[in-house]
Parts: sequence; structure tokens; C-alpha cells
Amino acid sequence: MSAEAVRQPAPGPIVDVRNVRKIYRRDTSEITVLDGINLTVPTGEFLALMGPSGSGKTTLLNLIAGIDRPTSGEVVVAGTDVGRLSESELAKWRSHNVGFIFQFYNLIPVLTAQENVELPLLLTSLPKKDRRERALTALKVVGLADRAHHSPRQLSGGQEQRVAIARAIVADPAVLVADEPTGDLDARSAEEILALMESLNRDFGKTIVMVTHDPRAAERAHTQKHLEKGVLKA
Amino acid sequence: MRFLPYILKHLRRNWVRTGSTILGMALCIFLFCTLRTVLRAMDDARELGNVTRLVTRHAVSLVYNLPLSYEGQIAQVPGVKRVAISSWFGGSLPAKKESQDARKGAGGQPDFSNFFTNLAVEDEPYFAMHPEFKVPDEEMKAFREDLRGCIIGRALAKQYGWKVGDTFFLESFIPPYRRREGPFEFVVRGIFDADKVREPAADDRVMYFHYKYLYESTGRRVGAGLYVVELQDPNQAASVAGAIDKVFLNSEAETKSETEAAFRADFIAMIGNLALLLNSIGLAVIFTILLVTANTMSMAVRERRTEIAVLKTLGFTSRQVLGLILSEALAIGVLGGGLGLLLSVAIIRAMTKVPGVSGFINGFPNFGLHWSVSSQGLAIALFLGLAAGLMPAVSAYRARITEMLRQV
Repeated sequence: MSAEAVRQPAPGPIVDVRNVRKIYRRDTSEITVLDGINLTVPTGEFLALMGPSGSGKTTLLNLIAGIDRPTSGEVVVAGTDVGRLSESELAKWRSHNVGFIFQFYNLIPVLTAQENVELPLLLTSLPKKDRRERALTALKVVGLADRAHHSPRQLSGGQEQRVAIARAIVADPAVLVADEPTGDLDARSAEEILALMESLNRDFGKTIVMVTHDPRAAERAHTQKHLEKGVLKA
Repeated sequence: MRFLPYILKHLRRNWVRTGSTILGMALCIFLFCTLRTVLRAMDDARELGNVTRLVTRHAVSLVYNLPLSYEGQIAQVPGVKRVAISSWFGGSLPAKKESQDARKGAGGQPDFSNFFTNLAVEDEPYFAMHPEFKVPDEEMKAFREDLRGCIIGRALAKQYGWKVGDTFFLESFIPPYRRREGPFEFVVRGIFDADKVREPAADDRVMYFHYKYLYESTGRRVGAGLYVVELQDPNQAASVAGAIDKVFLNSEAETKSETEAAFRADFIAMIGNLALLLNSIGLAVIFTILLVTANTMSMAVRERRTEIAVLKTLGFTSRQVLGLILSEALAIGVLGGGLGLLLSVAIIRAMTKVPGVSGFINGFPNFGLHWSVSSQGLAIALFLGLAAGLMPAVSAYRARITEMLRQV
């Protein structure tokens, strides 16, 4: 993935959340986690979603990433209303459009860094050689090409998160969603990860939606949004 | 195929658990294949056997002998062409090495690890009704002229390195056939080849000697172990058998006449209901391994709930995740099944050479791992793998990403 090959930001929002409600039902009780959310994220944006625990940040992120469905309302990402897709269509859509960065990296421990990064490409028709090359390129972007054959156990937390970021960008998705990407890291590693995400946004034009508790992390984003009790504040 | 390295890497994740599951599966398939091979050999032994010959034995048990006077009476039954005495001698080479040496005389306990089938027969009618045993005329002549003479099968001669003119001793484990003066001395007078095309059940690991030698050496007190009866017309087997048994009805020693195939079945049944026993063991083992493998797969999948959530987040469909877990379970089945088959082949080959066991095994024609048994074994291994992986795979298929990530 070279800087030249990066898509130019297209006009209009890449994420459009319209009047979304998310209600969890347990036995007879109902918990409203998101209550009438409206959110627009332009292409090339770096957005930080903030808020106290239980405010619905991660739920909103999951809806944008297409790993959960709203109870009502529409979530349109990269031109697709994800709520209308079937399970298998949604899986395929995710593989093309979303790169997910977890708080705890969630690398597969039995695979090397390169194999972890290559994992999303197994779903494409790319031949093995091309998959390997693209995985290595993604590792170069995050500065870990020399650790390609290391297993997650042999990497530090910061390095693991960088491999996870490489995995998220390897299929060149339209949106990167990150759920507290620095939440499990020390200050120095967190700074490296935030710098990397800034670079992905600035140099490669990636749209990033990041959930964070950390105000310093949120400061790196272009825009900050606050959620409180399922309602988006200005 | 592109997922294969991923599947194999997961199998190596907890190699002790995977290894022990594969070994358990291998043991299961090994037991199944070995037991089925024995059962198949027994079934073959039942099905083979010449239809032109009957066997008349004591109605109560093979253990009891029949009076010698019966021979003439059987020969008088319409449809009977020839009758020959055949007595199971139950001889083994003496245990003490010096007792096996002709120059140092006889004595000592029998060595059952050196057991092979040896029968005391009336040579003329017996070999006349068994044309499948090919003996050179001059060797047959020498055998008939020597009371201590014996004829041995080619395989037996090869096993002990015996050749015509060699002498050896046999001690029977049957008390009436044991002499105060020690084991019986025999001289190899002929070596026969078994014509398996003519008679598939023909065994060349057998030794035949003169019934007269046994009779005279035991004080003329022993009867006939059984009578082999040659029929004039094979189609009359049932009626002739009935007629023979009718002659001795209500006598002191009633008879049971049957075809050679039925006799083999009865002989094997003396061991007990071996088929039921072996099948029960096989089923118990298969069921146990199913539980063990299912437990392994469940644990493996439970430990990987986050990974499954990650795979689904990356875009793997639920069906692909189900396929990955089933493939993993199937891989355990293939590896375990393959290992079990190899083990089975090795043990079955070894069984034919183990002293003591080989005598029993070599009595079966065509003893070996048949392709149909190996296929069944492999199919069971695959079934076990799939069955064990099904529940965890379905659970992973159904699981929602957010729920799995929340449980971490």
C-alpha cells in the first residue's frame, strides 16, 4: 500500500447514522443503550467518540463496523445500509469496508505477525504470493517488517497493536474503527499508536472512528463527539 | 486449501491435548480394525470348507471321543463314500531344549509357544478325500511305511526349518494322549503343498501322523476324535448327516454330523461368543473416544471464543467458521485414523509371528487387514471427528460477535 495508491477523499459522508436506537432486552426488562443517534462522518475524517462507561460508545462503534444491528434507524457506511444486509452479506461487506482495531489487539496467538495480517486476505481471491507481499507491505507501513515472523508472544503490547493495525488496513477498507486502541498500553506505546493512526489518516486518507476514554488520545482526532446515556452531545 | 495451514497451526496450539486425542482416536481405530480382522477371519473360516465332506463328532462336545466301532457303521450309511478318523492331538514341542533333541530322549512339559495343529489320521482314506494336499508319491509311500512318520505342510516346514528325514518330539496337553515314557517321536517323511485354488480353507501349517501310532502308544484305549465323511453326492449333505446321527440316536455316544463349514463355526464357538465380546469392546471404545474427542473440541472452541469473534469481525462468514472448526475435527479424525490403521497393520503382521498367538491366527485362512475393514476404520475416524466437532462448530456458527467479545 503506497501513499500514491491511496484513494482521494470522496465528497460526502462515509458514515451516516440516522436516528438510531439500540435496545437490549433481557427477560422482561429493556435497556436503551442508544437513543436516537444521528451522526455523520465525512470521508477522511478522524473522529473520537468519548463518554463514560456504559454511555453506548462501543455499541455505536459496533453498529458502524457492521458487527451489530440497530433496533431502529439506519446505519449507512460507504453507501450501504448495513442493517438491510443478511449475515453472510454483512460478513462480506465487513471484509471489504471495515478495518477493526480492538483494545486488546486480539491477534491469533498461533500465527506469526505476517500470518495474522494476512488473515483478512484469505477471504479474497489473491494468490498466496500476493497475499504475503501485501501483508509484508502493511507491516512495513506500521514499522514492523522485521518482526514479520515473530509470534504475538514475542512482541510487546505496542508492537502487537501495530500488527493489529496492519491487519486492519491490509484489505484497504473504507473505514477504520478502533475501540480504545490505547487502553491497554503504556504512555509511550500509546503515543506511538496514536502517531501511527494520525499518519494513516493524514498520509493515507483513512477515515477513522475511534472510541476512547483518554482525553489525550481524543485530542489527536479532528473531531470529538461525546455520548452520555445513549445520547450524542455536541 | 488456503485455510489448511491455519487449521494445522491450531492443532499444534495445545499439542499435548491434540496429541493425546489423536492417540486416543488411533487406539480406537486400531482396536476396531484388529477386532474386525479377527471377526472377519472367523467368518471366512465359517464360510469356507468343502461341501463334499461331513464331520461327525460327539453330540455333547468335541472334547469327547467317539467309539472306533462307529467307523464301520457310518460307512454303511447310504450316500457315504469314505470315512476317516481324525483326532486332534494337541501336541507341542517339549519346553526343555534337551527334550527336543532326539539323541537325549524324551521328557518335559510341552511348550505352548511352539504349538501348531497336529492331527492323527487314518492316512489312506483321509488323504484320498483331501486331494487339495499335494504330496509326492515317494514321500507318501515312505510315510505309510513308517509308523512314526508324519507329513507336514510347507509353511510348517519353513517355520521350523524341518526337512524330510528330520526327527522331533511332541508332547500333548490332552492327558489321555500323554505317555509315561515321554513325548511322541516323529520323523518327517513328507512335505505337502496346499492347493488353495481347489480348497481355500486348506492349511499348510498342519502336521498329520498315523492314528495307529497314537492308538497303539496309548494302550489302545483312545477313541476317535471325529470322523471325516466323504459324500457320494454333495447335494445330499443334509440327508446323509441326518441319517448318520439317526444311527447313533439313543446310544451312549450320540453324534452330531455337519458340513465342514458348520464344524468350523462350532469349533470357533468353543471359545465363547467371541463375536459379541469383540463387537462390544469395539463399540465401547468408539463411544468413549467420541466423548473424549467431543470434549477436546469443545474445550478448544471455548478457549477460542475471542478468536472466533475476531474471524467473524474480519469478514469470515458463520459458515466459514463452522467449516474451519469441522475441518479441524476432521483433521484429528484423519490423523488418528491413519495412525490407527498403521498400528493395526503392524500389530496384525506381528500377531502372525508371536509364539502362542500365531498358532491360533495361522489357523484362519486369509488372515490380514482387508481393505473393507480399513475403509470402515477410516470412516469411523472421520465420523468420530465430525460428530465431536459438530456441537462446538454449530455453537460457533450461531454465536454473535458482540456476545463473544463481551465474554472476554
